[in-house]
Amino acid sequence: MSTPLLELRGLSGGYQPIQIFQNVDLTVEQGASIGFFGPNGHGKTTLMKTISGVLEPWRGDVIFEGQRLNRAKARGSRRWRNFNYDVVTPRRMDPKTVARAGLIHVPQGNLLFPEMTVEETLSIAPLVAAERHQSSAHESALHEKVGALFPRLQERRNHKNRFLSGGERQMVSIAAGLLADPKLLILDEPTLGLSPKLRLELCEAIKTIRAAGVPLIVIDQDIGFLTELIDVLYLFDHGSISRRLERAEIPSHDQLMAMLFGEAV
Amino acid sequence: MISLDTILIVTSGGLVLGAIYALMASGLAVVWTTLGIFNFAHGAFIAAGAYIGWQIAHADASGLGLVAGTLGTLLAMFVFGVLFHIALVRPFERRANIVAASVITTLAGATVIENVINLIWGPRSKQIGRMLDGDFSLGPIALSMNDLALVVIVVATLGLVGWFLGATRTGRSMRAVAQNREAAELMGLDVPRLYAAAFGLSAAMAGLAGIFIGSIRFMTPTMGADPLMKALIVVIFGGVARFTSPIYAALIIGMVEAFSTYFVGLYWTPAVLFALMMVVLVLKPAGLFGKHQRTL
Ligand SMILES: Nc1ncnc2c1ncn2[C@@H]1O[C@H](COP(=O)(O)OP(=O)(O)OP(=O)(O)O)[C@@H](O)[C@H]1O
Ligand SMILES: [Mg+2]
Repeated sequence: MSTPLLELRGLSGGYQPIQIFQNVDLTVEQGASIGFFGPNGHGKTTLMKTISGVLEPWRGDVIFEGQRLNRAKARGSRRWRNFNYDVVTPRRMDPKTVARAGLIHVPQGNLLFPEMTVEETLSIAPLVAAERHQSSAHESALHEKVGALFPRLQERRNHKNRFLSGGERQMVSIAAGLLADPKLLILDEPTLGLSPKLRLELCEAIKTIRAAGVPLIVIDQDIGFLTELIDVLYLFDHGSISRRLERAEIPSHDQLMAMLFGEAV
Repeated sequence: MISLDTILIVTSGGLVLGAIYALMASGLAVVWTTLGIFNFAHGAFIAAGAYIGWQIAHADASGLGLVAGTLGTLLAMFVFGVLFHIALVRPFERRANIVAASVITTLAGATVIENVINLIWGPRSKQIGRMLDGDFSLGPIALSMNDLALVVIVVATLGLVGWFLGATRTGRSMRAVAQNREAAELMGLDVPRLYAAAFGLSAAMAGLAGIFIGSIRFMTPTMGADPLMKALIVVIFGGVARFTSPIYAALIIGMVEAFSTYFVGLYWTPAVLFALMMVVLVLKPAGLFGKHQRTL
C-alpha cells in the first residue's frame, strides 16, 4: 500500500482551555477526496484550523505524505496557567510548514485582505509553492488555469477585496488556494450564504477543480453536492467523527439527519 | 502687515518640518499597521540613527562622509530593528495582551537605548552638520540647499517605500499580514519574518530621520522624545488608512507648527497642535483621512 496523503492520529484540540474535538483518526488516500458533514458549531472548522496549524494541536499527530507536520513532543503540562510557553517551547505546529508541504486551507467565510486588490492578492498566493518548483513557467500556467476557472475575477482584478460580493470573495479565496499549487485543498463551507446562481457557478468550478485531479477535503451542508465530489463522507458531531460512509453508502439528506440526531427527527 | 516673503519663509520651514515628520510618522505607521502595536522606542531609534550616522560620517569620529554615514545607518538600524523586535515584541505575538505588554517593553527599550547612547557618546550635544551648503532660490522661493536635499530625499524615500509596499511581493505580503494575519498564515507567508522586516524597515526610516534632524539641530541622547510625540500626533491626526495618509497629515502638522511658531509663538505651539488634534479626533475618530483603524 502506498503512503496515504493525509493521516490524522488521535488528534485533539480546541481553544484553551476549552476542548472542541477529541481523538480524531482519519486517512485520506492518495488521489482521494473526502467530505465532512455535521451540525453547526460542532468543531469542523476548528479541526481544519488545527490541521493547517493556525491552532495548536493538543494531542495527536498530523501526517502528510508520510511526514509528521507537528513536533512529536507535547507541550508543557501548562501547570503555570498564565506562563508564556511561547518563549520556552516552540509551537507544536507551524502553518507555514503545512502550507509549504502543499496542504492548503481555504478558510470559511473569508474576506482575505480587505484593502488589497484582487490582482495583488493573487500575486502573493503562489509564493508558498515557489520553493517546490522554481520555474516561473509553472506559475504562469497555474495563473492561466485559475483565470479560466474564474473569468469574473479577471474583470475585477483592480477592485479591492472589500468591494467584492460574497461569491466573488469566495472565488478569490479559492483562486488563491489553487495558485498555491495544493497537493490537498481544504474548502471550508465554500458555498455558504451565496445566492443560488452564484452557488451553482461556484459548485461547477469546484467540480472542475476536482476533475483536474486536485484532492479535496470539503465541508458543506449540501449532501448532493458533496456526493458528487468525494469518495468518503465523514459525519462529524460533538467534536468527533461519528460515522464513515463510502460514497455508495451515502443516504439521502433526511436519512442523514436521522443518523445525526436520532430517529426522532 | 505680513509680507509675502515672510509667508514663503514660514512655508518652506513648514515644508522641511513636514518632510521630517512624514518620514518619522510613516515609519511609525509601518509597525503600527503591520503588528498592531505602538513602538514607543521609535524616538530612541531616531537618536540611535543620528549617533550611528555621526559616528560614521563626522570628521571627529570615523570621518567617512555623509553618504557612507547614511547607508551605514540604514543598514545598522534595519538590523537593530529586527533584533529589537525579536527581543522585545515577538515573545508576546500570540498573546491577547500584546498591546499592553509592548507599551512597557518598547518604553523600556527606549530608556535602555538612550542610556547606552549616553554611555558611548556622552551627554554633550553633537551635530552631524549640513549635508549641502549654499542656498537654492527659484523665483520668490528660497531654501537652503540642505533643506532642499532633505525634502527631495524624503520624497524619494517615501516613494520607494510606497512602491515596495504596493508593487513587490514582499511588500504586498507585509500588507497582507497587516490586514488578516490568519489568512496570511494559511497562505504560508512567514509571518514572524514579515513582522521583523516591518520593524527593520521602520527602524531604518527612523535612522534616516535621525540623520536629518542631526543635520539641522543639535543631537542629544533624548533628541527623539519630541519627534516621537509629533509622529504620534501625525499618525493619530491623519489616520493610517493608506500609506499616504500620515504623509499628508505630516505636511499639515508641519505647516501648522511653522505658522503657529511664527505668529503665535513657540511656547503656545504644542497647545495649538493638541487643540487641533482634539478637534479632528472628535469629528473624525479614525483620523482626518481614516476609514479603518489598522490597514496599510
Ligand atoms: N476563536 C474562538 N474562541 C473560542 N471558541 C471558539 C472560537 N471559534 C469557535 N469557537 C467555538 O468552537 C466551537 C466549534 O466551532 P467551529 O467553528 O469549529 O464549528 P463548525 O462545525 O465549523 O460550525 P459551522 O458549521 O457553523 O461552521 C463552537 O462552539 C464555537 O463557539
Ligand atoms: Mg465551520
